[in-house]
Amino acid sequence: MLIFSFLNFAPKTSAWASGLFPIATLLPLYGLVMALQIALTKFASVKLPDSVLGFTWEQVHLALGAMAALMAIGWLLTDTGSKQIGQWFEILGGIALVVGAVLLQRERDTGAIG
Amino acid sequence: MDKIKLSTANIVILVAGVVMLIASFLAFLKFSTPSFTIGGQHFGGSVSRNAWSSGNFLIATIPALIGVVMAAHVAVVAFAPQVKLPEKVLGLTWNQIHLVLGFQATIMMLAFLIRSTGGVDKGIGLFLMLIAAIALLVGAVLRMQEQPDPVI
Repeated sequence: MLIFSFLNFAPKTSAWASGLFPIATLLPLYGLVMALQIALTKFASVKLPDSVLGFTWEQVHLALGAMAALMAIGWLLTDTGSKQIGQWFEILGGIALVVGAVLLQRERDTGAIG
Repeated sequence: MDKIKLSTANIVILVAGVVMLIASFLAFLKFSTPSFTIGGQHFGGSVSRNAWSSGNFLIATIPALIGVVMAAHVAVVAFAPQVKLPEKVLGLTWNQIHLVLGFQATIMMLAFLIRSTGGVDKGIGLFLMLIAAIALLVGAVLRMQEQPDPVI
């Protein structure tokens, strides 16, 4: 999502360009936070606190994923002229984030879902 | 008849949700050009678009919908106690859901505030929605502090 955020979101405009930043940039940033948390704990063995503001990390992933999916649907239904490859990948990525968060809940067997 | 008592947090969320919805119908962006009349025909003037207008809907409408959901939850719990809602949704308590939604509404409205709109002015609706979003977040934080069971 981060890579595709630098491609065209709207005609001749990336998600980081004036007029779209930072509203169109929130989606890849949410994805980045989620990916960073997993990368830091899995690959760098960084010890993060068990919970943040009363949320477990699985709940943080679920909350960010759900909000990312909400914004993805928002962009899907927003008339931004012709949708470019960057926007399509943000929409798909946003939905993938919530799917990943749900799978993470199941994988870690938190009992929250299923 | 029992007197319904709403906690401060819930009053804040309820009011902010209503303000958010009303503000979403006010000018989100406005564009003004000098107006003049030629041959009886009027040109220029001020054009505004609200959060529901094409180009803004659905991305700018999301904070308003979030406010409606939060206020509706508070209203249902307070005024329709016979309606049974699940204690958790996707593993999140209602207080956590309020916090997530309040955070999301605030971050989106801040993003709209920061966003460059070129020569187009930001309208009163955008500023009111931002204030309402911050109020939603404050209400959600207050709800958290009223744990475990807020007085509704």
